[in-house]
Amino acid sequence: MKNKFKKTFLLLFLVSAINSMSSQDLLKKLDKEFTDVPQYVLATFKTTRISIGQSVETRAKGTIEIAAINRFWNIPNTNTQTFLADKVNSRFSLEYAFTNRLTVGFGVSTFDGLQDGFLKYKFVRQGLDSKKSPVSITLYQNISYGNGSAEGAIYPASVSSNVTAYTTQILIAKKFNSKFSAQLSPTIVHRNFTVWPSDPKNQFAVGLGFRHKISGHTSVVSEYYYVANPLKSIDTYNALSIGLNWEVSDLMLQFNITNARNVVESAFITNTRNNFNFHDGNFHFGFSATLILHTRKNKLN
Amino acid sequence: MNKLFLILFFALLSADFNTNSKQFIARQGQVSFFSYTSVENIEAKNNQVLSILDLSKNEIAISMLMRAFVFKKSLMHEHFNESYIESDIYPKATFEGRILDFDNSLSLPQTKIIRGKLTIHGITKETDIKATIEHQNGKYLISGNFNIIVNDFEIKIPPVLASNIAKSISINYRFEYDRYEE
Repeated sequence: MKNKFKKTFLLLFLVSAINSMSSQDLLKKLDKEFTDVPQYVLATFKTTRISIGQSVETRAKGTIEIAAINRFWNIPNTNTQTFLADKVNSRFSLEYAFTNRLTVGFGVSTFDGLQDGFLKYKFVRQGLDSKKSPVSITLYQNISYGNGSAEGAIYPASVSSNVTAYTTQILIAKKFNSKFSAQLSPTIVHRNFTVWPSDPKNQFAVGLGFRHKISGHTSVVSEYYYVANPLKSIDTYNALSIGLNWEVSDLMLQFNITNARNVVESAFITNTRNNFNFHDGNFHFGFSATLILHTRKNKLN
Repeated sequence: MNKLFLILFFALLSADFNTNSKQFIARQGQVSFFSYTSVENIEAKNNQVLSILDLSKNEIAISMLMRAFVFKKSLMHEHFNESYIESDIYPKATFEGRILDFDNSLSLPQTKIIRGKLTIHGITKETDIKATIEHQNGKYLISGNFNIIVNDFEIKIPPVLASNIAKSISINYRFEYDRYEE
């Protein structure tokens, strides 16, 4: 009798346990229902340039970017009455995203007279889970044509220096967490012709870039480009930039302090003739504004 | 002893059957939100919202991925996830609640209040949502709209953009429930 009672008790206990198991938390049940669509990291850098150099970002299909990238600086040892700054270099550019991965653009710089065009293709996207790629990789190819007579050319005007330069970059970036992203950018700058025979035709460089988000819309960025075989005919220095990026709806504003006077990659990576300090002529204030327009609207069915 | 196991087995079966037969799931629920201001109208839609309806207790749960919201402009999607809702920290928005005074035997459309906890951007709020519930051919349909205050969920809007985003966001939802089978 006692035994039977025990068994009944056991039975009741088991049934109730099973019952409570099946009426488990409804939200937990829903968690299992989410389909496994591959998910990729959003906004490693948010802007297509970290500060002075390219970032892994490409825009969504059908996006047009119109940018004005400016550097302001003073001429040393002069007592000028120029408004704001003695000199300015501006690069105006237009970029179009043919697909989510491929962007084509071209630009013209005022000071060094460089005309450049580029192709940018994002071929690896960083995944959200560990099964996907841990980094994003973008290939960047720029062709720039320099006008020797322009005021900003690195050689004297008497030397014909119409040089076509090819810059190839493999941009490798990782978003470590919601606040911090870093990028490594191995770079080759190739010129078919150098004015001085002692200068290398191929120059190798590596860039390091960082982004630290400080609020929803602002981030502090920094970039440094190390050149392994600098020019021999003139003294050049590695480019450094410290800046602040601010996103205001469709407008991206970038502010920075840098020693790079030129905007095009082939020029600022290998031809920066000032070191980073706060003297007139070396200190450059950078300001860029990028307007983003959508030619294609997503359907919300 | 054998008899006892047989009873246990049937008890198990019935227990499982009981709860499941009263559970319904919506796998392609639709949630959209609108922000109307004089400067700009913002609209987004998520067609992959999950919801489960448990008629044994008149309970309802909703879960959605914030990234799955589609915007007309892709840049807005990036801003929404990266700057406002912070979807890499808070990937989901959820709701858990109970339909008040609901008689699930009626097939006529009924308008009821669903009282529960709404979690967005990691902040949980007690919320009452008005819903229209219909029952047709073994399916349940729940739809309605309500408003939320952006400030309640600690979503920061910079002063420069304050005029672009409405303080109160209107939300539409529509769920079609089928019988839930595990």
